[in-house]
Amino acid sequence: MKRWWWVIPAGAVAALLLVVLYRAFGTDPRAVPFQLKGQTAPDFEMKVINGEGAMTLESLRGRPVVMNFWASWCGPCAIEHPILEWGARSMGHRVQFVGVVFEDTEANARAWLARHGASFPHLLDERGQVAVDFGASGVPETYFISADGTIVDKHVGPISQMDLVHRVDQLTGG
Amino acid sequence: MHAALITLHLITGLTLGQYAPQRLAGEPLPAEQEARVQALASGLRCAVCQGVAISDSPSSMARAQLERVRELVAEGKSDDEVIDYFVARYGEWVLLEPEVSGVNLLVWAGPLVLVLLGMVVIARQVKGDENAPDEQLPDGAAQPADGPSEADADLARYLEAVRKETDQ
Repeated sequence: MKRWWWVIPAGAVAALLLVVLYRAFGTDPRAVPFQLKGQTAPDFEMKVINGEGAMTLESLRGRPVVMNFWASWCGPCAIEHPILEWGARSMGHRVQFVGVVFEDTEANARAWLARHGASFPHLLDERGQVAVDFGASGVPETYFISADGTIVDKHVGPISQMDLVHRVDQLTGG
Repeated sequence: MHAALITLHLITGLTLGQYAPQRLAGEPLPAEQEARVQALASGLRCAVCQGVAISDSPSSMARAQLERVRELVAEGKSDDEVIDYFVARYGEWVLLEPEVSGVNLLVWAGPLVLVLLGMVVIARQVKGDENAPDEQLPDGAAQPADGPSEADADLARYLEAVRKETDQ
């Protein structure tokens, strides 16, 4: 019995390693943590590139917001855009759709919108600071903000039509 | 074939403008503040890269993050406040070097504990080998007498038999 005293600490270390491995295997090491879930969305003021003047998040308070970060150089954004256009046309009375142009020039973004359509406001995040404020990790990325300004959820990558409907339903309780 | 496809993909992408436009970096701050910016940026992970600091990555996301560090330093924020800003948005994942506290202590102390445990096991194993003859004998058993063992006697008898066979 005396010879086996070290089995207990060795077993404890092995169990600890197994727990760490089990937890690590359940997560995607490339996934960026979503820390702002449930917190108040950072306010912003950005130029509207397909309209007049500037828009703030504060001005949208009282309406749920679907905020999509995109860029004209982003291939998946072009795939996703028709779904957002459809969403804005069919669900625009329930939520406010907003596009945010990330790391792009105004001229490129305007030309891209002229080709792909723009049925909701698109804002220019000139230096990418709003994206960093939201903890974004690239484009496309879509944030779902409740009427009281709380970040409820986010979707990384191009969103599907079903996913969009489901999340808007969650946002509006409908 | 793969090389040709990759080349075609790159040429198509560049032709269609599928790349982030180059943008001038923000104005560097005075030397002392810029040194702080670079030191902080070298410890923060780029959000779209794998284990690359925002000071080393050419990606558009890293440029935006670096600009944020520069703005926060220019606003007079302390190093801790800048780090807290990024941790609040990206979690501890954003730190290239995890903080030495809480569960993170396992990362730092774990290997040391394992090495120490291994040394203890090896030391006991070596000590066990040295004492092996004593430990293998049951209590009260007699020590073997000096001289040839039973096995040696068997071998001698066998060799003798072989010798007789070959002599005949």
